[in-house]
Amino acid sequence: MPEPPVVASWPSVPVEIVRAAGFRPVIFRGASGPTPAADVHLEPGIFPSRLRRLVDDALAGRLADAARIVIPRTSDADYKCFLYLREFVRRGVATTLAPVVLFDLLQSRGADVPAYDVARMHALLDELSLASGRTPSADDLRREITRANTARAAARRLVRLRRSVPCVAGTEAFKLLAAFWEMEPDRYVEMASHAASRIAARPPLAGPRVLLTGAPVDGHTLHEAIESHGAVVVDEVGPWGSGAAGDDVRIDDDPVAALADKYRVDAIGARTPVDSLRRLTESMLNDVDAVVVSLPPDDAVFGWDYPSLRGVLQARRIPHICLRGDPHEAPTPADHAALHSMVSAASRLQEARHG
Amino acid sequence: MADRQLDATLAASAFQKQWFADLRRRVFDDRQPYALLQADVPFELFDLVGFPAVSNQWWASIVAAKQQAPKFLDAMEANGLHGDLCRYCSLGYASTRYAGAGEPPWGGLPTPRLLCARLTCDCIHRVFELWADTFGAEYFEIDHPGAGDLPPRWWELGRYRWRDLVEPHRLAFVVSTLERLVERLEAISGRGLNRDELRERLELVNQQEEVFDAVRRLIAAAPECPVRMTEQISNVMATQWVRGSEWALAHARAFHDEVKQRVDDGVAACPGERARLMWIGAGLWHDTGFYTAFEPSHRAVFVWSMYLAFGPDGYIRYGLDDPMAALASRTASFNEYLHNPPWAAEWIVHQAREHRIDGALVLRPRSMKPAATGRLFIERALEDAGIPVLPIEADVVDARGWDADGARAGVRSFLETRVF
Repeated sequence: MPEPPVVASWPSVPVEIVRAAGFRPVIFRGASGPTPAADVHLEPGIFPSRLRRLVDDALAGRLADAARIVIPRTSDADYKCFLYLREFVRRGVATTLAPVVLFDLLQSRGADVPAYDVARMHALLDELSLASGRTPSADDLRREITRANTARAAARRLVRLRRSVPCVAGTEAFKLLAAFWEMEPDRYVEMASHAASRIAARPPLAGPRVLLTGAPVDGHTLHEAIESHGAVVVDEVGPWGSGAAGDDVRIDDDPVAALADKYRVDAIGARTPVDSLRRLTESMLNDVDAVVVSLPPDDAVFGWDYPSLRGVLQARRIPHICLRGDPHEAPTPADHAALHSMVSAASRLQEARHG
Repeated sequence: MADRQLDATLAASAFQKQWFADLRRRVFDDRQPYALLQADVPFELFDLVGFPAVSNQWWASIVAAKQQAPKFLDAMEANGLHGDLCRYCSLGYASTRYAGAGEPPWGGLPTPRLLCARLTCDCIHRVFELWADTFGAEYFEIDHPGAGDLPPRWWELGRYRWRDLVEPHRLAFVVSTLERLVERLEAISGRGLNRDELRERLELVNQQEEVFDAVRRLIAAAPECPVRMTEQISNVMATQWVRGSEWALAHARAFHDEVKQRVDDGVAACPGERARLMWIGAGLWHDTGFYTAFEPSHRAVFVWSMYLAFGPDGYIRYGLDDPMAALASRTASFNEYLHNPPWAAEWIVHQAREHRIDGALVLRPRSMKPAATGRLFIERALEDAGIPVLPIEADVVDARGWDADGARAGVRSFLETRVF
C-alpha cells in the first residue's frame, strides 16, 4: 500500500519532510489539455498550466485522497492559488478537498528571512505530523536527507553527461532529472544510475548545445521542438531539469534549519533573487552555443531579465531567440522558423570555432 | 478631466505640484536625500527621519495623466521588455530609464538616495532592482509573508484588534524588517527615529482617516453624491502621501467641511442623480474623464472607489502602545485587503451596500497580473448581492489600446440594460 500523497504546486516544498512524515510527495506539473472546472474560476493569463491543472483536479474532486495540499510561496500565482483554494472550500465550491496549507518560504535577502523560513519549515513539519499522526525525529529527518542527497548525487551524474560534451538528448535527460521529484529516492538512484551507465557508453551528440532559460519549464515539449532542429538542450534554468538536484542538503544537528537553508537558496522560481538567477545563468553560458528564452503569456517576472541577458549574449556572440508561447503547447510555425535560424547560426559559429 | 467642483481639489493639486518643486529644489540645491517608494510602504518612517518620499504609483499616475506613458512604454518594449509585463509599477522606471523618449512631468524625478518596496507582486523585485541600478541608488526590500488565516470583516478587526488580523509570525517578521529599515534610514539621514514621535504621527494619521471616514459617511448618506469620485481621489491621495502631517490633517478637514457644506446645501455632483456607480480597481489615470462621462447623458455618477474608502478601513489603528507593531499590522496585508479572497469581495460588497450602489464597474487590468487576481470572486459576490457588474478591460496607465469610445458605449449599454 503506497503512502498517501501530499500534493504540492512546485518543487520548493521539501520532499524530505513530506517523506519523513510518512507521505509521498506529488508535485503538479503543467500539461496541454483543457481545464474546464478551473477556467470558471481562474482569471486567464495569470495562472500557469500547473496551477490550472491543480485547481481543476481540486474542483473535480480528484484530490480528495491527498493528505494535504501544500502550496509554497514560490510565486504570486501560487499564493493566490492557495487563497482561491481556501475560498472554494469556504464557499462550498470544492466539497471534497484535502486541507490546504501555505508553505510560506521566503527567498529575499532580508536579514530576518532565514529565521522566518526555519520557523515556517517547523510549521510545515508540525502540520504534516498532525496529518499522519507520526512526528519524525531529527534522526528520521537526517535519514530522509541522506536518501535524497544520494538521489541528488545520481542526478548530478546525469547532469554531467549532458553538459559540455553531451551524450544524451535534452528531452531524455529532462525526463530522467524531473523524476528526482517524483520517485522514491532509492528507486531513483537505481533508475538514474542505470541510465547514466547506458548514456556514458554512447558517443557524444553533434549539434549546437542549447540552454533553455526564461520562465522555468516543467515539461519537455520545448526540448523536443528545439531538438527537432538538430540542436541538443544541455541545460535549463529551473528546478525540473539540471536544477533538480542542486547541492546536497547539509547533515548536522538541525536538519530543519538545513532544509530551510537549502530550499531558500536553491529553489528556482519567480521569487528567486535576480542576482542569483543571473549568476546561475551566466555560469551555464560557458558550455552552450545558443540560448532559448521562454517567456510564456503568464510571465510577469522573467521578461524583466531579458534585456540584460540579451546584452550578455550579444557580447559573447551567442545566438538566441525568445519564445512567447505556452511551453506545453507545440511551438508555432514562426517559432520553428526562428528556432531553425538560431540553430543554423549556432552551427556556423560552432563550425568556425572547431575549424 | 472634468471641471473641478471643489476648492479643496484645486488646493490639493496645487499642493502636490509645489511639494514636488520643493522636493527637486531640496534635492538639487540642498543635496537632501529623498526616497522612491511603493505606495504600500510606511511613508511615516521616512518622514520622521527627514527623508521625503515619492510614491511610485503617484508618479505613474502623473506621467499617465500628462499623456506621456505611451512614449516611455514604447521605448521599454523596443528594448525587449514584452507587453505582458506590469506597466503600472514600471512606468516610473521607464520614465527614468528611457527619459529621452518623452517628457517626464515637472522636470522629472531627481536621483533618489534610496528606493524601497514591499515584495507583494513577483515583478516588484525586478522593477525596483532595475530602477535602482538606473539611478545608481540603494534599494531596500520588505518581503511579503503570505497570510494563512484571514478572519472575516477585516475592516472592523483592523481598528481595535489589529493583532488578531495578522498572524503573530507575520507581524513579528514585518516589525523586524521595519526595524531594519529604520536602522538604514537613520544611518543615511543621521537622524534617529523617536518612538514617541512615531506614536504621535500615527495618532495624527488616525485623526486624518477619521475625517475621511466622516466624508465617506456623508457621501454614503446624502440623497445625491456631493463629490465626484475623481475629486475624492485627488483630495485623499494628496494627503495620503504626507499623511499625519500638519498640512494633510488641515486639508482633510477642509475637504470634509466643503463636502459637508455641499450636503447641507443640497448640492450634488450631478443633480438629478439616477444611478450610483462604483469603480473597483486602480484609477484609469490616462482617461479620468471617463468617470464623469455618464453624468450628462444618464445622470450616472461614480460615487465610490477604494481610494477614499480604504483610508479609514486600512489605516486606522487604535492602541498605539507599540507603534511599530501597529504600523506593521497595517503594512502586512494591503494586497489581501484589496484584491484577494475572501477579504476584497467581502469588503467591496459591504461598501456597495453602504453606498447604495446601483452598478459596479470592475477593472480587468491588462498587464497588472496580481491586481487582476480575485476579480472573478469580486464580480460574483457583487452580482450575488444584486449589484450588476460591468468588467472594463484596460491598463490604468497605458493608453495604447484603450478604446475610449467603445468603453463609453459599453457603459451606456450597461446602464440602459442592467442598471435602469
